[in-house]
Amino acid sequence: MTTLKIKRYAKFTLLAVILGVSAYMLMPPKEESVGGNRDEGGRRESDRNVAHVIKFSAGASYQPGARPHGIGEPLQGLNHVIAAFEKRFPDTRIDVVNTPGVREYLVTQLSSGAAPDILNVNVEDVWVDTQKGWYVPLDSFFEAPNPFIVEKGDPDLPGTRQWWDMFRYQAISRGKAAPNGKNYCLTLDMVETGIYYNKTIFKDLGLEPPQTWDEFMAICKTIQAHDGFEQPTTPILMHLGAFLDWAHDLIFDQLYYGILPGIDVKQDPTREPYLQGYLDPEELAYLNQKGYFTERDPRYREIWRIMKELKQYTNRDLGGVDFVREFVNQRGVMMWSASPLVYRFILDKNLGFEWGVFYLPRFTKATSRYASGVDMCVIGGSASQFEVTNSAVNDTPMEWPMERRMRESERLKRVVAFLQFLCLPEQASKVINEYPCLIPNIVGVEPRAELDDFVQILDRRYTTTKWIFSFDLRFSDILNRMLSLYLAEGGIELDEFMQWQIKNVQSGCRKAVERKGVDLSLFDKRWQELAPVRAAYMDLPADSQ
Amino acid sequence: MKRISYQLKSTATCYGIILPGVLLLLVFVYAPVVWAIVSSFSQFEIGGAQKFVGLANYKEYLVSDPTCWPSMGTMFLLTLFAVIIRLSVPLIVAKLIYSLPRERSRYIYRIIFLVPIVVPGVAVQLIWGGMIYSEHGMLNEILRAINLEQWTHGWLSDPRTVLGAIVMMGFPFIGGFDVLIYYAGLSSIPDSVTEAANLDGCTGISKFFLIDIPMVLSQLKLILMLTIIGGLQGFEALFVLTKGGPGFKTMVPGLWMYFNAFSFQRMGYACSIGVILFLMIFGLTLFNIKYFKSSEEIQGVS
Repeated sequence: MTTLKIKRYAKFTLLAVILGVSAYMLMPPKEESVGGNRDEGGRRESDRNVAHVIKFSAGASYQPGARPHGIGEPLQGLNHVIAAFEKRFPDTRIDVVNTPGVREYLVTQLSSGAAPDILNVNVEDVWVDTQKGWYVPLDSFFEAPNPFIVEKGDPDLPGTRQWWDMFRYQAISRGKAAPNGKNYCLTLDMVETGIYYNKTIFKDLGLEPPQTWDEFMAICKTIQAHDGFEQPTTPILMHLGAFLDWAHDLIFDQLYYGILPGIDVKQDPTREPYLQGYLDPEELAYLNQKGYFTERDPRYREIWRIMKELKQYTNRDLGGVDFVREFVNQRGVMMWSASPLVYRFILDKNLGFEWGVFYLPRFTKATSRYASGVDMCVIGGSASQFEVTNSAVNDTPMEWPMERRMRESERLKRVVAFLQFLCLPEQASKVINEYPCLIPNIVGVEPRAELDDFVQILDRRYTTTKWIFSFDLRFSDILNRMLSLYLAEGGIELDEFMQWQIKNVQSGCRKAVERKGVDLSLFDKRWQELAPVRAAYMDLPADSQ
Repeated sequence: MKRISYQLKSTATCYGIILPGVLLLLVFVYAPVVWAIVSSFSQFEIGGAQKFVGLANYKEYLVSDPTCWPSMGTMFLLTLFAVIIRLSVPLIVAKLIYSLPRERSRYIYRIIFLVPIVVPGVAVQLIWGGMIYSEHGMLNEILRAINLEQWTHGWLSDPRTVLGAIVMMGFPFIGGFDVLIYYAGLSSIPDSVTEAANLDGCTGISKFFLIDIPMVLSQLKLILMLTIIGGLQGFEALFVLTKGGPGFKTMVPGLWMYFNAFSFQRMGYACSIGVILFLMIFGLTLFNIKYFKSSEEIQGVS
């Protein structure tokens, strides 16, 4: 064979190999559960006669095989629960799937009925879609006994009377009801925010965790003024979401809690026993009609003034910074974040400092003349929020009303059974307490000791309202944008921000009322009844006395 | 008769071959366009009911949406900058490569300038966002290293610098297909023209402006049209890096259309923005075709 021929053959062989490899790489992967949910080797019982394959998007905190923060052993807790459930129900297979957290993905999947049967997303994000029949209301199941508890035969066990009774944090769990009053979400565990702080630097500077907001600001000022750091150091690390969501609700609560008895116009028999005084979207809309959250409401302006005051001590860029890295590298002395980071810090053997956690302190009259003086409420709450989607009833005709589909769907029964099984203390603890991350919401499952700081925070009362989850996504988006511009160096001034935000609130309120079809005049009577209460308050919008 | 039958058969075969392509084009390109135009006159969410609202979406966008005109301004600004850059820098690079004396050198440089296009655009954008513009990115660290800490910025979060940061992304703007397109145009200039110019003493910069540029007008026209279309339609970089922020400082209509469609689920409203963009692109393309002559058209070839 001549050299030329050999070269030619080699060339063609190489080409064929490249084409073959390319074709192989283009083949779609088999649809397979992520991380495996059988034994630790990921083995499946393929010969089993499976009638129901339930897809479960458990979320990043419990994804089997995942190593949170890239440290520790791969998670397996959920696999053990699923294995126990499948042993009990051999005709059912639970596939844990990984879904992108983006709303665009969910919308397309839900509209085509192809979403996982159980999702883990913020229930506030799904409220806007409930009227489309994309989610299954779970109230009838929550109000019934948990059959797995009943079969234990102990009438005193929580869950024997109602599944609801199994949840430790009742206010937060039931507070997740959608504005239509129905519950679409099962809260398995809790997350709370707090200020992680560098104890070593605090000690060096002679600082203690603050008792009031003014002390907190003074600490920030001391850190900022200190010129003995080896590198530029930020007093407190915060991302934009912490301003938009957490700081927004906390400051609002501090300024409005004192006048709440005079403006809480809705007495919801379902929610009121658990969420005393919580302001629902329609209440916010009614108050807005009365001049609240407008230029005539000095408290509303105060929220944003205080926020800007806090911003001067935070990182310059609220979006493009790895805050954990900054904190670990001691380029930030405090960091406002949530309980899952405990695991990250505990396992970090190279952390060159001591750390601790404190919660945000209350306002005083020196902070604002509208300060109510009460302790800060909690704003975190539900972490794993499991919603059952329309895929769970896809064994029934789509044209049926949801109530009928729920009654007749065998698949749904099995999906709910899995969630009931997951809530058994002996099962839930395998998942929640596999590592210190989230706080159990199941009675009988004790939180891990490492999370004590956050457990104590969570014992406080719940927030007065959740602003960014009260209205549509456009409201949140515009607030997010304009707040980032207001807080940015070289951004807009408070007056311009207020103009945007006041229009935004008006638009959000109008759309919330339209969407729910609420008649706000129903609150008029209660409003009149509360007039004497309001008469004692100062600086209310002129037309709201 | 036999000849006619053969012609019919031949014609039918041709139509048969082209038919699947046309059908696919109709189903996947034209039908969605028509659907979008029809939908722009209605109000609906994915999974929700559709309600005819006439021109309300157009009126809301053009009259009451505060993002409309500022975002149009941003879009035109970004497009203008892209036009200036893409009509100049790659052409200069192509000319420099073309002027190299050895074919092998020209080949190597062509490859060097072409290779960067294999890096996906999103990856490039993330590199710029994460490694260059971030708080501890290259730009700020260089400034710190030369004791210019006060000049450091949150380049993408500061409303004063964000637009500049966006337009400078891709600096020095010399890689990619544009260079090849211009190079092809320069290569196609007849030797006789080059020799005549040389004989007339037209060399160097004057030759570049008086001979080369007029001879690559076809390529310039192509790049101009593609840049305008891309500038009006494109929003990937803004989506990846700023989401149109801070505030609405880097918002463009295409990005607002995307947010309305998939985040706020206002599909009808998003369609109306899409139709407006379509009309603008269509109008500018027609304008370009009518008033921007290629070298062939100037010479009366076409």
